[in-house]
Amino acid sequence: MTVRIVLVDDHGMFRSGVRAELAADPTIEVVGQAGDVDSAVAAVAEHRPDVVLLDVHLPGGLTRPGGREVLQRCAECLTAQPPVRFLALSVSDASEDVIAVIRAGARGYVTKTISGPDLARAIHRVHQGDAVFSPRLAGFVLDAFGAGTGEVAAVDDELDRLSSREREVMRLIARGYAYKEVAKELFISVKTVETHVSAVLRKLQLSNRYELTRWAADRRLL
Amino acid sequence: MSPSENVPGNSSSALRGTRAVPDGDPAVPGARVPAGTPSNRSGRPELVRPEQGRLLGGVATGLAAHLGTGTLAVRAVLVALAVLGGSGIVLYLWLWALVPDGATGTAWAGEMGRRPGVRPVDSSEEAGKAGSAGKAGSTGNAGVGRGVPGASRSRDILLGLLLLLMGLVFLGLRAGWGDLPGLFPLLVVGCGAIIAFSQLDEVERSRLTTRTGTGTRSAVLRVAAGAALVVIGAVLLAVQGSGVVQAARILVAVLAVLAGLGLVLTPWGVRMWRSLDAERAALARQTARADIAAHLHDSVLQTLALIQKQSGDPTAVARLARAQERELREYLYGPPDLPQATLAKEVRSAAAQIEDLHGVAVDVVVVGDRDLDERGAALVAALREAMLNAVRHAGAPVQVYAECGPDRVEAFVRDRGPGFDLDAVPPDRLGVRRSIIGRMQRYGGTACVRTAPGEGTEVRLELPGARTVEPRESAGRGNGTDSSDRPDSSDRPDSSDRPDTGDRTPSSGSEDG
Repeated sequence: MTVRIVLVDDHGMFRSGVRAELAADPTIEVVGQAGDVDSAVAAVAEHRPDVVLLDVHLPGGLTRPGGREVLQRCAECLTAQPPVRFLALSVSDASEDVIAVIRAGARGYVTKTISGPDLARAIHRVHQGDAVFSPRLAGFVLDAFGAGTGEVAAVDDELDRLSSREREVMRLIARGYAYKEVAKELFISVKTVETHVSAVLRKLQLSNRYELTRWAADRRLL
Repeated sequence: MSPSENVPGNSSSALRGTRAVPDGDPAVPGARVPAGTPSNRSGRPELVRPEQGRLLGGVATGLAAHLGTGTLAVRAVLVALAVLGGSGIVLYLWLWALVPDGATGTAWAGEMGRRPGVRPVDSSEEAGKAGSAGKAGSTGNAGVGRGVPGASRSRDILLGLLLLLMGLVFLGLRAGWGDLPGLFPLLVVGCGAIIAFSQLDEVERSRLTTRTGTGTRSAVLRVAAGAALVVIGAVLLAVQGSGVVQAARILVAVLAVLAGLGLVLTPWGVRMWRSLDAERAALARQTARADIAAHLHDSVLQTLALIQKQSGDPTAVARLARAQERELREYLYGPPDLPQATLAKEVRSAAAQIEDLHGVAVDVVVVGDRDLDERGAALVAALREAMLNAVRHAGAPVQVYAECGPDRVEAFVRDRGPGFDLDAVPPDRLGVRRSIIGRMQRYGGTACVRTAPGEGTEVRLELPGARTVEPRESAGRGNGTDSSDRPDSSDRPDSSDRPDTGDRTPSSGSEDG
């Protein structure tokens, strides 16, 4: 079964580059493209793709970052059956923007320097409903939940902190480990790693710790 | 501010009208020479009211500079005219109203940077300037020497004197001596006008500098008070000699006219105000745009040009692009510059240097941060060695992760290279042992290397957080290398058996042969 994707990025050159790289994977089909917020919303509504590759910063729209607005305006697609899943793709280092897009419903975040095969893997992973965490996003998450300072949840489903296992997984991902390697490292299955990562994503989307701590400003010095 | 820049001979030029400071050095009186100002078309300074040397509104000073005569002479003529029939006063007020303020008229750009905006700062700043001008200012020319230190204060004092005089005259009238029928209301009008005009100057200036629009509230209030005084004076003038009832009638009529005028003029005024606001916003946008353009020109455009020149060399192009991307990202999204060095900043800059040096991408993720102390610097130096090894022997992607916790700092360098057999490394290869492991141990930390053929390499550095730990001269406590899968099972591979001098020079670092 092929995965149908829509490519949203305001740089035509980058879109064609991604297309060319993804062409190597026969199970991925690019069905649509868009270059700004409005056309992205229209393209998602028209094609109903499996996965949308979404740039965090997009022109058009009323709010910033543009990627979040696309997600907000496509909110019903996120919960529809079958759902449209979003993978954020950006060069941006601004943690606020990346986290804003994740909180709006994206299932993961990768940087644009990602290799073609890695991107294809990430697309498949998102399509299966799993979360995709790049080292950078893992770093943002550890910062956001104060995990760097040793805060650990007492119970696993506490929303505002990571459990020690989740923290361990995030740390390994931040160190550059692939899911498979994380699993091997922690003597757990890849499926369990995916469960942990999805749990972290859920916490990231539901927790209000992000607003409470304004960590982006406060995290600078202990 | 250096005194050497204050050329004594130039001090009189501070008297001249313009305050345009083309070279942007606000502190040097010499810089006020209207060298390249737009005013010089006819060879004489533009007629403005200079900030310095003014007693009231700066009219006489400006006029003197414009005409090329002495300030004293102009003042004398004005006073004479004022005494002989009062035309001097009218002339003065007229010029005050119409001649642009030197502070706001021409020296726009200099003004923005120079004036913090509020008046107390303003006058103290002026005093500071006078101080820096030193003797050149105070003895060189009477006008400058007297006027500069407290131009605004002396104006206030003068106003006070005027009001006092008015009170005396009023008392005199009551006492019955002298019949000066028209004088009192005229004085009231004059004082009101003076208050209003001087405050208008303030409002204008603070509006330009604070950009909050209305300036200070008290300035506005004082303008209103001045206007009220003028109205009262005018009414007094009109009702002279008439009865109370008639006076009240006139007062009502005046108020009605004023209210009507206000009604008609307010929308117009509001519209003016808004368009002014819009203009200011546009200017701010323009400035921001110019800033960004300047930055892009200095960075991105230069890099693009370099890339075009070296388009035959993919390594160089990749390196340039990567360095530029990092720089631009830092500019766009980077945290504001902290004055002190921090661990995160050092780790990032070390990675950036290695990237630039070797053209291999190094991805850095840092969680938390702390001030950089001696031990932190040692950790960064060891980390730099580990990154160097990774880019030399493995190539991209190199992933660096550093975590600053409350009780320890941890750093990891991971590469996807071929890996190597640690046991097979000859004992004379000192890169890892001395520069990484030995250095960490001397500062109370640990370092371990995990590697296996085909699995890449990961170097883990750890410093316990207690900052009181003294650097130790210990080494050689290790008991063998470790290439197992668990990172923490054996933290001490071979360490150097000689004390390391802690040098930062890149060591041979080719342990994987």
